[in-house]
Amino acid sequence: MISKLLFPSRFKLIGLIIFIPALILGIAYRFFDFGVSFLSVHTNGKNIFSNGIQNFTDEVALTGIITGLLMIAFAREKQEDEFINKIRLESLQWAVLINYVLLIIATWLVYDASYIDVMMYNMLTVLIFFIIRFHIMLAKNKSTIND
Amino acid sequence: MKNTIRVERAIHNITQQNLAEKIGVSRQTINAIESNKYVPSTVLALKMAKLFHKKVDDIFMLEEND
Repeated sequence: MISKLLFPSRFKLIGLIIFIPALILGIAYRFFDFGVSFLSVHTNGKNIFSNGIQNFTDEVALTGIITGLLMIAFAREKQEDEFINKIRLESLQWAVLINYVLLIIATWLVYDASYIDVMMYNMLTVLIFFIIRFHIMLAKNKSTIND
Repeated sequence: MKNTIRVERAIHNITQQNLAEKIGVSRQTINAIESNKYVPSTVLALKMAKLFHKKVDDIFMLEEND
């Protein structure tokens, strides 16, 4: 009955431990031009698009952010059952829907180079919306318990 | 669909927590079923019926709009 496509519940914490530093690294790279020097590699393709140096700080950050978010999103709850599984699937459906509605809105409101930012955030928002929605619904169900 | 789980629990004098532990679900799930927010799977319905020594359709019954 219970989905096999879930990580053990401790992955939620592991995911958080990976996600937070990766997010900080990503923000530092994106907004403060921060790059980890040992992640630079000299490439032989020096042309108008490249100065011959490829820095992999953003690759490391994005990989960490996505891996962390996936672990948080798809870790089993401590007491997993079919009702929790239903809440999870409904939250996922809701998140995908909201994500694409926002993408359509942003498509009409944001143009040119700024649209790259929209696409960048949109890669991650589906997981973020899902995690938030799922935990809100879990908390809501916990709070309505009466005996 | 409605159900008489709350009544059955009272008859057998067990709490939501007890029932949840006995059939291996969370207490939230029992609460959601009792308040008609969630329709349990057949497996779960059979487990509850077995626990209460009743048939499934003595505990769960269809409503007109089902």
